[in-house]
Amino acid sequence: MLQNLVKSVWVPMKPYYTQAYQEIWLGMGLMSLIVYKIRSADKRSKALKGKIFASSKGGGQKTPSYFLRTRCPMA
Amino acid sequence: MNENLFASFAAPSMMGLPIVVLIVMFPSILFPTPSRLINNRLISIQQWLIQLTSKQMLAIHNQKGRTWALMLMSLILFIGSTNLLGLLPHSFTPTTQLSMNLGMAIPLWAGTVITGFRYKTKASLAHFLPQGTPLPLIPMLVIIETISLFIQPMALAVRLTANITAGHLLIHLIGGATLALINISVTTAFITFIILILLTILEFAVALIQAYVFTLLVSLYLHDNT
Repeated sequence: MLQNLVKSVWVPMKPYYTQAYQEIWLGMGLMSLIVYKIRSADKRSKALKGKIFASSKGGGQKTPSYFLRTRCPMA
Repeated sequence: MNENLFASFAAPSMMGLPIVVLIVMFPSILFPTPSRLINNRLISIQQWLIQLTSKQMLAIHNQKGRTWALMLMSLILFIGSTNLLGLLPHSFTPTTQLSMNLGMAIPLWAGTVITGFRYKTKASLAHFLPQGTPLPLIPMLVIIETISLFIQPMALAVRLTANITAGHLLIHLIGGATLALINISVTTAFITFIILILLTILEFAVALIQAYVFTLLVSLYLHDNT
């Protein structure tokens, strides 16, 4: 199946994937970086909200400092 | 009512598994690979349409720009076929998702910009300042041109998303209004039904026009940078 895939897809498309679309691969890398940044920021903010909610529910516990909240989400 | 209105735009899943990938890959089945020199009617019509579109779209490009012919034709075929399939009742349209359209717009736009900076660095930098700008306005205009450059992929994606989503919402609303009016006034329901038919014809046109506009703009950005 892999041989068939190489023969039918990779061989005719090789000049495109290796030469013509070099800049598009870089664009895809840029897009994946943007997606990674957005998802990690979303994860961090959700963890922070959960921590603040849990600490307010617990009562009597000190809220983590700004440094800890922004740099150490697991603290 | 509100929940039903946007339910058709939710990513579909079957037995808990997302089937968006299958839906995105489905339009490729409608374009069979030609295996003979003279093919059947369907493939011949498709080849004729592709030739017509590619001739018109690639006329402005030089040799470097024409290496993008396959990408541009694939783009217009994919977006056009996806938009048209989305007009079928109860179907899911991938191009209503902003994530999908950004996923198409950002790599292609970045590809054109990187091509420009790689092969024509001075000309690409010169685009940030229009010719004949008065000296005091130069800093502000450079900032404005930079912002307009970075807005291009956002505009590409949001334009397609908004047009297709708005069309589907309108069809949904006016179809619901037609059904609701049948019990109240048949004449009004008939008029609303005529409006629905006209809107559906408009949406067929919008589906093809938006595919053409997306591809044409990518082609123009490429032309500016090659």
